[in-house]
Amino acid sequence: MTDLPRIASLEATGPAVARARGWRGRVRPRAAGRVWLVVWVVALAWSLSSFLGEDHRVLNTAGWGAFTEFWAAAARPDLSADLLRATVEAAATTLAFGVLGTLLSVLVGIVVAPFMSQTWWAPATASGPSRLLRAGGLLLSRAAVALPRGVHEAVWGLLLVSVLGRDPLVGVLAIAIPFGAITAKVYSELLDEADRAPYELLREAGAGRVTALAYGLLPSLLPGATSYAFYRFECSIRSAVILGMIGAGGLGLQLTLAFQGLQYAQVWTAIYALLVLGALIDRWGAHLRRGRARGRWAVSGVLLAVLVAGSVWHLAPDLERWFSGRTLELLSRLLDDLVPPSLPAGGWSELVAASVETLQMSVVAISLAAVAGLLVATVAARGGTSPPRRVLGWAARQLLLLTRAVPPPVWALLVLFVVFPGPLPGAIALGVYTFGILGRLFAEVVEDLDQGPREVLAELGAPPLASFAYAVVPAAVGRLLAYSLYRWEVTARETVIVGVVGAGGLGRLLEQQRAGFDYPAMTTTVLALVAVCLLVDLLSLAVRATTR
Amino acid sequence: MSAGPGSEGAAVVALRGVDVSYAGSAGGPALQGVDLVVRAGERVALVGPSGAGKSTLLRLCTGAVRPDRGEVEVLGRSLSGLGAAELAAVRRRIGTIHQRLHLVGRLRVVHNVNAGRLGRWSTWEALSSLVRPRETQAARAALSRTGIADKLMARTDELSGGEQQRVALARVLVQDPDLVLADEPVSSLDPARADEVLRLLCETVATPSRALVVSLHDFDLAVRRCDRVVGLREGRVVFDRPAAEAGELREALYLLERG
Repeated sequence: MTDLPRIASLEATGPAVARARGWRGRVRPRAAGRVWLVVWVVALAWSLSSFLGEDHRVLNTAGWGAFTEFWAAAARPDLSADLLRATVEAAATTLAFGVLGTLLSVLVGIVVAPFMSQTWWAPATASGPSRLLRAGGLLLSRAAVALPRGVHEAVWGLLLVSVLGRDPLVGVLAIAIPFGAITAKVYSELLDEADRAPYELLREAGAGRVTALAYGLLPSLLPGATSYAFYRFECSIRSAVILGMIGAGGLGLQLTLAFQGLQYAQVWTAIYALLVLGALIDRWGAHLRRGRARGRWAVSGVLLAVLVAGSVWHLAPDLERWFSGRTLELLSRLLDDLVPPSLPAGGWSELVAASVETLQMSVVAISLAAVAGLLVATVAARGGTSPPRRVLGWAARQLLLLTRAVPPPVWALLVLFVVFPGPLPGAIALGVYTFGILGRLFAEVVEDLDQGPREVLAELGAPPLASFAYAVVPAAVGRLLAYSLYRWEVTARETVIVGVVGAGGLGRLLEQQRAGFDYPAMTTTVLALVAVCLLVDLLSLAVRATTR
Repeated sequence: MSAGPGSEGAAVVALRGVDVSYAGSAGGPALQGVDLVVRAGERVALVGPSGAGKSTLLRLCTGAVRPDRGEVEVLGRSLSGLGAAELAAVRRRIGTIHQRLHLVGRLRVVHNVNAGRLGRWSTWEALSSLVRPRETQAARAALSRTGIADKLMARTDELSGGEQQRVALARVLVQDPDLVLADEPVSSLDPARADEVLRLLCETVATPSRALVVSLHDFDLAVRRCDRVVGLREGRVVFDRPAAEAGELREALYLLERG
């Protein structure tokens, strides 16, 4: 987990070999970097101008009162005993979604990963048909996880709610389906990347397959796999909140209900609960990442086991209902509704327009997040020596914590107070949320940098900004770019959750279709979203391959 | 203690009765009763076992370490009474070379060389140079003195280890300092390259008004390339001789190390 960009790159489309080779050699990296920069600036300008154009008024001064009222309530959250009890209960539900969702994802990952690995599909004989068959198998297995992974947890949640109703397991399953697929993908890549020499050696010495695997391969896989599992846990908790907002229960639901009732004091109680939960998990992750001692993982493992048992007890899932005839009937009816897909009411033009809008929203959001994140991260990075610098750093870290603890739909509702509806508030909301995530990752990058060059420059009397520009920015830019590109793809997928509150793009289309029970069209919209995410993924792959 | 040969030049570094101890360290003081004068035009090697205090002595000269007792005078200024701005002004005239080169790999060579100018450039000049490199002639001249003028526009992390060492030296050349301090600059190099790097290092102070203080593990190299050799052990100066006379002390240093 010390190297998230590497792990993030494992989530990307395409086998590792292709990424390593990429387009390199054909395009000069430096020239490619400039070309991409120009492309990006043009895309951003185009997106912004299409959001702002057509004499759109942007700021809605009428909502200013509600907006300030909301922030004023931060100082006086509702701390009544009843609400606090409900909040703790809701937090436990959210945590349980996250814990069980992660557990299920990791199990799916472990079981499915071998079948997705190139190692598994490596041709045994050199004959043509065997090669073709094996390559086809690999492609098919990869394609099979592309769909569950490309669809956002919230969409899975919406679909599952219509089959299972308000079952607590909706939250768990909605996380486990997409996250299980992505975990399987990452684990299969780890498997392919692992050094196989010890395994082959043990096999040659006569060890059985399982023994050889346990002694020769697992030890080198374990650190990467555990780190990634914890990273998924952090993501799962965030997703659990969003799933709550669409009805699965927990803090997300409490937040939404309070917001709809304009009970800002209660909203803030839920936000503070989210902050505490987020801070605890951040600390836990940092604790595991920074330390090398084996004891840390052991203690955390026991703690996780307790959490899993507690989560099962808390959610008390009713498995019988799952396998009841009624569930099966609902599922088949839903499948009937969804397939075959049909075009939305507005035809291809509406679908394309919404897809383009989604793409534009993701571009604006990630640009906002990356620029603001870079500026704040330099302040937020630990290592300041003077007291004012430390206070400022602490404040910056709290800001980042707040922006990423509050889920994007809530940011969208807030932005909608002061900005007229449309894709722009959605993009701003996503940008604010992603800013919290990127800012923290950036700060970690800056903290982990070799301080040598910077100190040398400071010693020979360079102005602070100059030594920052010469020593810090160039050293960090590769990882910052990798993080930003990785989050860009995530952001494109997340446009759907701000779209649900009416903020534009494919998400808004999806919500309209859901409200009108137009299931066949929903399928098409979801497929369009998967296509947009794939495009973004391939673009970021191209950028990463040509700039190093 | 006498300053040894070359005492006609002005004192660039003067340590008088300096004690340094690091808080919380289990061992004895890092430096004890050290007197040392380095004059303009001198190339002085510090030799001695690990932990003898060589690095501490070099760090004293940049003001990074403050003495518990005694006085440190660098480039004519006593460091003890200096404010931050005045200390920065002194540091600007000191070039430092470390065993780790502290280059920024993703920057082009020209920027890593120009980093030596940052003490004199304004923030604006520094930033604009990243877009359109300034003073490329000076950078090219420095690189041709270290033998890699053709690498001016190459990316630094694409250079070999030896070439990177030359970039670091060129950075000191464009900084144009009056005092060069080098802490184990060649300890990770093979003998032939170490000799070459030390030759280039001595060239950075070719002008008679300048001085070089370099800590070395290789006794032969110190004798061959420097004017003066100072032996350190357990924080004390054991000997301080012209290089020509120091050869016979090698045995003594090894004996001391064993003892």
